[in-house]
Amino acid sequence: MKLFFREQLALIFFYILQLVVITVIYWLDGYHHLKISLYAAFLSGCLLVGYLFFRYITNRSFYQRLEEPLTSMEDFTSIVQKSPLAEGLQQLLKSQFRHYKTDLHNYKYKLEGHIQFINQWVHQMKTPLSVIHLMVQDEDDPRFHAIGDELDRLKKGLDMVLYTARLDTFERDFYVETLDLQTVVRSVTSSQKRLFIRKKVFPLIQMDGDLSVVSDEKWLSFVITQVMTNAIRYTVEENRKIYFKGFTRGINTVLEIRDEGVGIPLSDLPRVFDPYFTGENGRNFQESTGMGLHLVKQICQKLGHRLEIESIINQGTTVRIVF
Amino acid sequence: MFKLFIIEDDKQLVSLLKEHLHKFGYDTKSVENFETVRAQFEHYEPHLVLLDVNLPKFDGYYWCRQIRSISTCPILFISAREGKMDQVMALENGADDYITKPFDYEIVTAKINSQLRRAYGSYASLQNERTTSVEGLTLDVERLRLALHEQEIDLSHTEAKILDELMKKAEKVVSRDRLLEKIWDDQAFVDDNTLNVYVTRVRKKLAALNILDALQTIRGQGYRLVPNWGQKP
Repeated sequence: MKLFFREQLALIFFYILQLVVITVIYWLDGYHHLKISLYAAFLSGCLLVGYLFFRYITNRSFYQRLEEPLTSMEDFTSIVQKSPLAEGLQQLLKSQFRHYKTDLHNYKYKLEGHIQFINQWVHQMKTPLSVIHLMVQDEDDPRFHAIGDELDRLKKGLDMVLYTARLDTFERDFYVETLDLQTVVRSVTSSQKRLFIRKKVFPLIQMDGDLSVVSDEKWLSFVITQVMTNAIRYTVEENRKIYFKGFTRGINTVLEIRDEGVGIPLSDLPRVFDPYFTGENGRNFQESTGMGLHLVKQICQKLGHRLEIESIINQGTTVRIVF
Repeated sequence: MFKLFIIEDDKQLVSLLKEHLHKFGYDTKSVENFETVRAQFEHYEPHLVLLDVNLPKFDGYYWCRQIRSISTCPILFISAREGKMDQVMALENGADDYITKPFDYEIVTAKINSQLRRAYGSYASLQNERTTSVEGLTLDVERLRLALHEQEIDLSHTEAKILDELMKKAEKVVSRDRLLEKIWDDQAFVDDNTLNVYVTRVRKKLAALNILDALQTIRGQGYRLVPNWGQKP
């Protein structure tokens, strides 16, 4: 309504001006009948009001639409009213919408192709990885140990790429079941046994009875692996332990992973889950991408688990996963 | 002799697998032409199939269904995809078990053995019994028994694993890290100190067979088993 009036304001002014000019001309010419003049002005005014009313009725929904912001892209296609202006706008919007849609579609398609390519590529890279793994497996020589360690790093890196790429299609890629927490933790720790042994750090698993959690095994294992490798990496002294504690807190099951490492400075703590944030420790320890904990946070959000982190410098870090 | 059919397109991986499986007394055959897998299967008549998922022409699921339509022999998938859905898909297409890349030799042999045992009865394991032998000293890893001449003693699981590794590499130094890696399993893991305890126990077991000073500690490196029992009468 407001927009309509603003739009027609110029017309109303123009009309009044015209009315005054014509009346004045007749007045100056010697026509001095005030009543008739006013009557003519009234009749003409009624015509204008009638015209404006008609305009408003025919274009009402058009104006309403212009005044209300769209909530989604598909919204505007629903209202159609037969008036040249409305139809013109409709046509324009429609064609523009089509263009945007095609563009968007192309990008979506490209992105999906890209994700698929990464998926495929990572899986293909696992074959040479397996070959090297088998070749060095039975060798007990420092050089082969080094190759084995690098291999583990490569494997971790590939997994990271894979899981990051998959995060976007998470809904299609998970399988929720009831898992025994102890079994999951044990399989994760033994999958990283080389890292433990090499760093001379050992896991200690404590569970308050049989704890089971509802989660996706693959994603949860990835989360625990990330937290655990961080714990191992930032433990500098030998013969330290990484404590895995499972317990119930209220209605929740909690897995606590505590290390006795260097800890995280208080100023860095709120930002450890930010992407590409490496902080002071990252700078001191290298090979930190800043993506690990960010991914952990994202995955936990999708799985519906909560994360807690506490740290005291030089005493260690505690990460809790609340199921 | 059990015949294993390997359907995998990476030649290096195939040759490593073959070499390893031959050690365990299996006969193996691998696929060269990936268009006639089914015909090759029928011709070879294997007892077990190792099958990769990503193959040229058709994928592993396809060949799995093909083989299933003519045979009930155990099929083990080898794949880089570790997702639950992928595993479910493999099982739904008729596979019996699933191995993810990269894998350890132990996993492959253990899974093959258990599938063969399930499919062909317990005599299967008799044929491919794992024993290691050095100068008359024989270790049976599956039965956890150690024998020299007529004498025989029982070992614990961990002791057998340690001895197995040392005997395989007799006269060579085996590093502590490697031993730790070998005896670490899902159920229990051992820290540095516990390894010392186990090594002491192994020495005692060897002493029970009148083998003394054979297991040497090499400072800063690890342990070495010197077969000194051969000369004795």
